[in-house]
Amino acid sequence: MSPTTLAHAIVAGVLLGCFYALMALGFSMIRSVTRALNLTHGDLIILGGYLGYWLWIGSGLHPLFLVPVAAAALLPLALGWQWLFQRLREPKELSSLVLTFGLSLFLQNGMLALWPGEYRLIASEALTASVSLGGLTLNRGRLLVAGLALAAVGSLHVALGHSRWGRAVRATSVDREAAALLGINVDQATQSTFLLAFALSGGVGVLFATLHYLSPSGGAELTLLAIVLTIWSGAGHARSVLGAGILLGVVETLTLLWSGPRWRELIVALMLLGTLLARAGGLVPRRSR
Amino acid sequence: MALLEARGLSMAFGGLQALRGVDIAIEARQVVGLLGPNGSGKTTLFNILSGLLRPTTGEARFDGARLTTLPPWEISRLGIGRTFQIARPFAHSTVWDNVLVGVTFRARRGPRAALERRREVERLLATVGLLDKARATAGELSLGERKRLELAMALSTRPTLLLLDELASGLSPRGREEVMGFYGQLRGEGLTIFAIEHSARVLSRVADRLLVLDQGTVVADGRPEQVLASTRLVEAYLGEDDEP
Repeated sequence: MSPTTLAHAIVAGVLLGCFYALMALGFSMIRSVTRALNLTHGDLIILGGYLGYWLWIGSGLHPLFLVPVAAAALLPLALGWQWLFQRLREPKELSSLVLTFGLSLFLQNGMLALWPGEYRLIASEALTASVSLGGLTLNRGRLLVAGLALAAVGSLHVALGHSRWGRAVRATSVDREAAALLGINVDQATQSTFLLAFALSGGVGVLFATLHYLSPSGGAELTLLAIVLTIWSGAGHARSVLGAGILLGVVETLTLLWSGPRWRELIVALMLLGTLLARAGGLVPRRSR
Repeated sequence: MALLEARGLSMAFGGLQALRGVDIAIEARQVVGLLGPNGSGKTTLFNILSGLLRPTTGEARFDGARLTTLPPWEISRLGIGRTFQIARPFAHSTVWDNVLVGVTFRARRGPRAALERRREVERLLATVGLLDKARATAGELSLGERKRLELAMALSTRPTLLLLDELASGLSPRGREEVMGFYGQLRGEGLTIFAIEHSARVLSRVADRLLVLDQGTVVADGRPEQVLASTRLVEAYLGEDDEP
């Protein structure tokens, strides 16, 4: 194998990993603040993708202009989901699985009714061109998506670490009662987290639809991906989610390069199992986050 | 008018009656101790007063405001601070950041706010003797230091009434002496204190009044020497003071 092929695989893995991180962020944030596992996460991304596709077909606008529209379209759902999550009984992890499994079926069947038949892709020419960087040929769409992912993770990291809102969200995610006693409106912190997570899912959905075909049942795989990254990184840490995403992306592309697609899922599953056995709280030591 | 007043507070958890028509009145700048055996309802009472629980019946007022319909963050903003029996600082954050959270949500916003917050955190850490541990994570602290950190966190909300839940319990004799010092210092600063302690002896040294709860009912209320003079009461409800 030539060094160029290897370098190409690693760069492609990093770009893919950035996108994985962006897809997992919303799941990780909601998990962090509510302890709930949102199995509809991938379906919401797919829904954002379908909305983006529908708007793109109707308007012909550049897909990037549709990202904020799809993000905003999911905000009412965020409020509905939060209302439902507030009513979950303990243990929240388990009851959230039951609730969101039902909601996931509802969303999938709803999308199947609205967009039946065929697979959809936002095949915008603006994103399919190739660019040459340092001797490597890369897809412009993937580069753009990775850039947006880095910007989103960076902004979130700064906001969580240095803003009043970030302190409220972090304190709420660690100990809801203690945070409330310190004067933090934990309901407001939770609501803002839901709104941000759903907006991220909607926007990411449009980007996803520029790279992958949409199908109403395609969300399950994305939810699984978000679960894997959240387990690796621990919930609610934007930088760690990015690191875990890049690790997964690179492992995937190297596995594809060396062993072909047959081994991809198995290697990822083994890595997940290894993490769970070694460190239930995630790969990254908490103090260094 | 009393600063804190509760009338007929009752709390039932399913079939368990944790509080039964509790009446209390605490004047401003008083230090009031709350004693009682395990399961007598002390922490339940604190949970109601801090907004973590809604009572089944009855109501509580603080400085005229009705507490029993407010969420904890609004009660905190009214001026009630609270510590827990088992200290609950944010274990993976630094001592500095733990105190900064409360300061941030009580401080005004503006161009000089960051500097004021920094000074306030320094002042609070100096008050509880943790300034030299500011960069340590809360999880690295000893039990006594964690309790002092939680006291600083409660003070960071600028309370006028402090609910202290067993600040001295589990500490060495030296640690308990330090806590006694804090009680005196806070009282000197004009704070009103309502404190649960396991040790009647500890509380009698600092309290103006002692309340005794048993099975969710106030069974004694008076000056410390009156309450502790009742040998039968002490034996029946408080047990032997096992701390040296």
